[in-house]
Amino acid sequence: MKTRQNDVVAEYLREVDQRLAGLPVLQRRELLNDLAAHIAAEQSERNLGSEGEVIEVLERLGSPEVVAAAAHEEAGTRFTPPVGPNRSRFWLIFGIVGGVVLVLFLCAFFAFFASSGSSVEGPAAPAVTAPAPSAS
Amino acid sequence: MADASQLATSLRRGTLEFCVLAMVETEDRYGNELVRRLGGEPGLAAGEGTIYPLLSRLRRSGWLESKWVESPSGPPRRYYGLTPGGRSALDHFRAEWVQFRQTVDRLVGTGEAA
Repeated sequence: MKTRQNDVVAEYLREVDQRLAGLPVLQRRELLNDLAAHIAAEQSERNLGSEGEVIEVLERLGSPEVVAAAAHEEAGTRFTPPVGPNRSRFWLIFGIVGGVVLVLFLCAFFAFFASSGSSVEGPAAPAVTAPAPSAS
Repeated sequence: MADASQLATSLRRGTLEFCVLAMVETEDRYGNELVRRLGGEPGLAAGEGTIYPLLSRLRRSGWLESKWVESPSGPPRRYYGLTPGGRSALDHFRAEWVQFRQTVDRLVGTGEAA
């Protein structure tokens, strides 16, 4: 029971932390410490026993979005998504892989076209000349 | 609905911090006390957690000071108190607020004597 309470608290704090990117590091640590101290004090002072009671404490604190937005507003900073570098790296890799696949596809297409073109031309030439005598 | 919450946000901005300063004027209080009190007032805080960034800014601007104190029961508490700078800021706000409120009451027609 105790660990499930801590699970939801840790998850909440992690969600807040993820949205604090762009905030000066010490203000970020300070807020997370203040929130953790607030939750711990509520838990011990009100002798909270269930996960549901801890969730109520977290709901009164506000959603991670609301808390982080207030922090950015007070600090005069803006949320800079930490997923940004990962996402741009994803698109870079996606682009490279896509480019390679496209080049390979074009090579295969031209190779096929060239080989099938010559194979068509091969029998086609006698085919044209072959019926000519039989027709006349 | 969006307009109503927008109005509350606008009114809160610039006034909530002085409510906080006034709450620690006579005695130091710790975070949970301040947050619980403000959270119980309608329209004052969007979420209890939004008070902590405000406390941080007031401390960094030198109006509040804080100290961690061991609690007899439970985890350490962070107590906040008013600095001399915070006291003069609160005094200044009180004078400004009374005048501001009177002007708005007169123009909007919300005053007692209107």
